[in-house]
Amino acid sequence: MPFSLLSWVLLLLSALSHSGASPWLGVWPEWSTQLTQGAFVLGIFLYYRYRSSPLQGQAFVRLLRGLLTGPGMLALACVGLHLLERLAKDQPVFSSNSLFFTCIYTLNLGLFVIFLARTNYAWRALVLFRSGQRLQREWTVFEVLLGFTLLFRLVGINPPNYIGIPIVVALGLYGIYLSGHQKWVAYLSQREKWRAVLLQAGLLLGVLIFVQYFRVTQADPQLIAPQPQYAFLLLTAFFSAFYALMGLMVTFFNLPISDIIEQRRSEILRLQRLTQIIQRGQTSAEVYGILLESAVQTVSADAAWLDLAPGHAGAESAEATQYFNLSKPQVDELRTRLAAHDLPEGEFITNDLNMRAGFEGLPQHFRSLLQLPLRGLQFNYGMLYLLKLEPHTFDREDLSILQTFTSQAVLSIENLELVRTSLDNQRTQEELKISFQVQDSLIPKNLPTDNWFEISSHSLAAREVGGDFYDFLHLPGRRLAVIIGDVSGKGVTAAFHMAQMKGIFHSLMQENPLAKNERDKFPVPSRFMAQANMALTHCLEKSSFITSSLYIIDYEQGGFVFARAGHCHTLYYHALREEVFYFDSAGLGLGIIRNESYEKHIKNQFYDYSPGDVMVIYTDGIVEARGGSGTDEYGEDRLKLRLEESYFQNAEEIKRYILNDLNAFTSGYPIHDDQTLLVIKFKSAQPPPTA
Amino acid sequence: MKVTAQPSADTLTLLLDGELDASSAIVLDTELAKPDILNFRKVLIDCAKLSYISSAGLGVFISHLQRFQDANVKLVFFNMQEKVFNVFEILGLDALMTIVPSATEAEAA
Repeated sequence: MPFSLLSWVLLLLSALSHSGASPWLGVWPEWSTQLTQGAFVLGIFLYYRYRSSPLQGQAFVRLLRGLLTGPGMLALACVGLHLLERLAKDQPVFSSNSLFFTCIYTLNLGLFVIFLARTNYAWRALVLFRSGQRLQREWTVFEVLLGFTLLFRLVGINPPNYIGIPIVVALGLYGIYLSGHQKWVAYLSQREKWRAVLLQAGLLLGVLIFVQYFRVTQADPQLIAPQPQYAFLLLTAFFSAFYALMGLMVTFFNLPISDIIEQRRSEILRLQRLTQIIQRGQTSAEVYGILLESAVQTVSADAAWLDLAPGHAGAESAEATQYFNLSKPQVDELRTRLAAHDLPEGEFITNDLNMRAGFEGLPQHFRSLLQLPLRGLQFNYGMLYLLKLEPHTFDREDLSILQTFTSQAVLSIENLELVRTSLDNQRTQEELKISFQVQDSLIPKNLPTDNWFEISSHSLAAREVGGDFYDFLHLPGRRLAVIIGDVSGKGVTAAFHMAQMKGIFHSLMQENPLAKNERDKFPVPSRFMAQANMALTHCLEKSSFITSSLYIIDYEQGGFVFARAGHCHTLYYHALREEVFYFDSAGLGLGIIRNESYEKHIKNQFYDYSPGDVMVIYTDGIVEARGGSGTDEYGEDRLKLRLEESYFQNAEEIKRYILNDLNAFTSGYPIHDDQTLLVIKFKSAQPPPTA
Repeated sequence: MKVTAQPSADTLTLLLDGELDASSAIVLDTELAKPDILNFRKVLIDCAKLSYISSAGLGVFISHLQRFQDANVKLVFFNMQEKVFNVFEILGLDALMTIVPSATEAEAA
């Protein structure tokens, strides 16, 4: 900037010296004027070139306004100075004072250069708006070429007209080509376009004023002015004016279609809003609300309503109907009239509603109706109705735009639904995990140990929780109660009853202080079953039942007593007879008969065991396990064979042997019932360890 | 699982075809829960084609047992496959329900 200022002052002095107005300056050589002028132009242009882009974001109108109020005002200043000059002409004092004229002329030249520089670089911002690499390179070439024209005059090369004119014309054409880049116009709203047209017209006027001034002063014989840098200034002035003109034309001719462009842009914005709601996870009521609002605005409907299918996702949380410019009674009336018409299920447009029978005498005279279903994957979420007062206003295109909206809305709704279900699922999973932990704590972890027997156990639930259970209880007098059971059904319900049964076992197996003799202090198995049956009467649903076996092993006497309440038969290896067999005893499951008569259906069975005997207790999940061809069951026979092959091993080994065979049998099939397996091996009587 | 009802004068015969598990138990339950079933003197269950019965299937019969007894309607099972009979027997239901080998005995019962 100081460089420009200095060169301008020198230019002024040089011009003055030529005009001969101030003899004390002497006569400067011709080239000094050219040099200072060139330096000034170069300085100003470079200054504006490296200033930050005048365009901020998409504030095109602000840029134009800035141009008009800033450099545009320079044109006014120019006019003002010119008028002053005209006035001064009539004054005798100034009549021959070429000093004054030269000053004004040089001042105006400076203003013009500033004006051109500002305008050119504002246009650069607009030309390069959203442009590619190529256009940027083309612009730079344009600048360099213009720079050369400046240089030509500076070094004094004055090409003959037949070379100079084509060069200038070619550069002018280049400028015209660059003026074709008016992308920014598309980003203006209708109001902004009007403003842009006016501002550009104002700028054009500014250029014209300057050009006119210079044309007039050139002709003025009074002025011995330095020759301005013709080619450069001409070209930049031409470019500034032409770009403004071109922009004006483009903007002006864009005006009639700008509302369509704006409509498209607002449709995109609305669609974006709908999409954003998906991500924010708002409620379905909001989605429906925005759909109705967007649809109404897009087709500028006079009234509308949205019927939501009851029972479907979100319909209960949203209002069943959403209205726009209509009241419920009005919609009800329209609905009954439409129902009488038997309209098609899907999209439907009618543009002559008033001509149809049954629609006379409507309070509002709607002439056009558009009906559009909200189609989901499985079902329709509802129906959108849009109404207009004018006839023949809806067309296929409206329908396709609205369809984008409805499908986007349906997508949002289904997405919300999905999120909700997955949250529900997650919660259920959490609860199941807790149930599993609770149930796991009900299964005895520490098996009773004694030197009279060995126990090994295995349990596996078909789901997270199951209905199988087993438990042990040491009774006084070297006795052990063992219970196994299976609640009908699977999953959480079965698990509840399993917990209940465990409670019943522990409460019934309490010592009765009123008992007359030792044997009656604890209920015998059949009595236990009868009491358990009574206890379950009121808490087991009608179609549920429990099978169970209770064993009370007395290893002082070397025998046991058991009762089987509908549970699987006990598998037994008799060591002395070297024989494997199933105990065959009758007994009814618990919860099948819910009165006193149950006791008739349950029996005790006594048995004396000998060391080496093996007892295998299990639930039906073992013998009914599916494998082989898929419908084959593991079966009692196969279980019996496995014990015949493994009775001599210890309890843990026998259990593992059986399970290995079971797993081999069922491999590839899902486990469909809970499995429990207990192996008890009696050992030869040994005296209790003395402490 | 298919349940076919064949009503005659005072007897209703239900033919069970397939596996009676938790899902098919609902079909049978609706059939047995009909109020007019108690108008028959006898309800015969033909188990010839019943290949499997789960505890849920048994539960359906158990839940209606008392209701049938109270209304004096006889519930008779016949043509039962051995595997299915075993399930009834283990649970002790053979002592509680009338299970006969064939249709003639079922009609006589």
